[in-house]
Amino acid sequence: MAKLLRVNMTDLSVRFEDVPEKYALLGGRGLTSSIIYDEVPPLCHPLGPDNKLVIAPGIVSGTKAPTSGRTSFGGKSPLTGGIKESNAGGLSSQKIARLGIKAIIVEGQPKEKGRFYVLRVDKDGARLLPADHLKGKGMYEVCDLLWKEHGEGVAIIGIGPAGEMLMSAAGICVNDQENTAGRYAGRGGLGAVMGSKGLKAIVIDDRGGPGVEIKNPELFEQGIKKLTQASLTHDVTKKGGALNTYGTNVLVNIMNEAGGYPTRNFSSGRFELASQISGETKAEIIHKRNGEGMTGHPCHPGCIIQCSDRWANPDGTFKVSVMEYESVWALGANCGIGDLDKIADLIWLCNDIGVDTIEMGDTIAVAMEAGLLPFGDADGAIRLLNEEVRHGTPLGRILGNGCVFTGRAFGVTRVPAVKGQGMPAYEPRAVKGIGVTYATSTMGADHTAGYTIAPEILGVGGKADPFAVQKADLSRAFQATTAFIDSTGYCLFDAFCVLDIPEGFEGMVESCAGVLGVNWTTQDAIRLGYEIIRKERLFNEAAGFTRAHDRLPDFMTKEPLPPHNTVFDVPPEELDAVYDFSKWPKEVVGEVAG
Amino acid sequence: MIEVHLYGDLRRYAGKTDPREEAIVWVPYRPGLTVADVLREIGIDPERQVSNIFINGHYDYHARSRLVQDGDRLGVFPRNMALLYC
Ligand code: SF4
Repeated sequence: MAKLLRVNMTDLSVRFEDVPEKYALLGGRGLTSSIIYDEVPPLCHPLGPDNKLVIAPGIVSGTKAPTSGRTSFGGKSPLTGGIKESNAGGLSSQKIARLGIKAIIVEGQPKEKGRFYVLRVDKDGARLLPADHLKGKGMYEVCDLLWKEHGEGVAIIGIGPAGEMLMSAAGICVNDQENTAGRYAGRGGLGAVMGSKGLKAIVIDDRGGPGVEIKNPELFEQGIKKLTQASLTHDVTKKGGALNTYGTNVLVNIMNEAGGYPTRNFSSGRFELASQISGETKAEIIHKRNGEGMTGHPCHPGCIIQCSDRWANPDGTFKVSVMEYESVWALGANCGIGDLDKIADLIWLCNDIGVDTIEMGDTIAVAMEAGLLPFGDADGAIRLLNEEVRHGTPLGRILGNGCVFTGRAFGVTRVPAVKGQGMPAYEPRAVKGIGVTYATSTMGADHTAGYTIAPEILGVGGKADPFAVQKADLSRAFQATTAFIDSTGYCLFDAFCVLDIPEGFEGMVESCAGVLGVNWTTQDAIRLGYEIIRKERLFNEAAGFTRAHDRLPDFMTKEPLPPHNTVFDVPPEELDAVYDFSKWPKEVVGEVAG
Repeated sequence: MIEVHLYGDLRRYAGKTDPREEAIVWVPYRPGLTVADVLREIGIDPERQVSNIFINGHYDYHARSRLVQDGDRLGVFPRNMALLYC
């Protein structure tokens, strides 16, 4: 029987508990959000002792199901003040699951400030070890040291100096098979929550673990067969397909063509240097340098899409992983920087210091807007990260708390954020549905929460006109489906094939049902998704959020965005309809109580 | 003139292979010209080689049969870069 591992940082104790009945069928985001909803007072301070950090592998993580090694991290966000789920690839999910652990709950706070610990989890149990020697260290060194101490191959979950300093832009890092610090549950400042618990890192050694129990192997096998088939045949996810060949950065040219590629702090939808930093250019340079770089890299064993990459320096030596769409945009186009090697330097620094690349890109762009440095000044941006944020200087602490904090400090009004969280790389004035997701998601501005780009721009999972404003139903349906996928352990990029190929989604659901020993229909799965976003919404309401928080920043409704010269004109009623429970599809969710 | 931006392996029709350079072909405008005609003039098979087409930054999956206007900008992606669907 799988267990919950409860780690109390106040008295430094660990305890294994039986999984309560109500959590038996949950995993990933469904589980982290339910535990936060049940156990964390919505009005608590995110960095105080009452907040919790919950870490959960997905339902099928740890089995041979393809592309299913995502770990969910949940807590109350210091950046948004609401509930947060942020997930990452890397080694951790499969190993936690194979140790028979359904979730790790980190709670309390050490009495002694400034002390840090490492939690080691293995087949014999869990214990907290002093981590004074890791204090202040960047994630690359932390990964190296922990593999030396605990053996090669162990999974590492950790925070850099930003998390230790409780910065709201701090993320949680997970290592990959090469022990590179590059996979991040970046969004929402959960790194600061981990730091506030005095937890520098978690080491997971799954050798000798019991593995994941599969209650109905036949159904499970049937499910993964269908899903694998869909994944290997869909043009987006197959071998040699767009994601595998170019990585997520394939989107640069596409979003730029669509006029929805936010440039220089969201002042234009087209970047004149886009071709310098596109997925095509990235792949071409990696192959030309012909050294330690590679495309088509899996972020964890068992991923068959392999959208990740390893970027090499001009001399062919390895530099950084991963040059993905969001990071390249945030620290590139959004800052007016069109040089992939400089962007690689910036991503490397974010990964080492332990800050979210999206939030830092938004923040540096706001600092540029404020005149702290000119747009395009890559060396200036490098200096800000390496000399200010890393060392927690007063300026570094302003920047490390994200774009809203920085905008306020410097009197900038063009700050692209919702609920305190900086926007990702899709312009809501050019792609209205993603704006509806940004505005209403329980997570703050988050593209993964309801990726309407798929039907709006990519024509995947149905088709929708990006400039039309009736997007409540579309965004809501995507938010619910996403909440389900985030619970399974499957990578969200599987959505591309499962949205288009019905058997793919069936397979995804059947593989989960096979592990859990239930008979789920796809309808049941989507209902679960709705249940998750409902809980998250109720948590946020209790934390003080109202409809007024479900709005995009003022400037986006007034400043026309070139090249289309459109504003964000989705009416407020349309935004409010997304979380109006009386408008939720009754055939899926029945009557929903508010 | 119609300004055609080519991506992926379609860049070669603009005589370009380096993805860092913009690959643009200019096609003289004639009344009655469709997007498919424009592509054929460049030497691209609009059915077999193309996945997604943007007209003036608007994605349009019926793009091939649309009439072009003088001054239009087309963005054309190859099949093997299909993130987009037709
Ligand atoms: S598709 Fe990409 S992000 Fe998803 S699991 Fe695979 S490598 Fe990781």
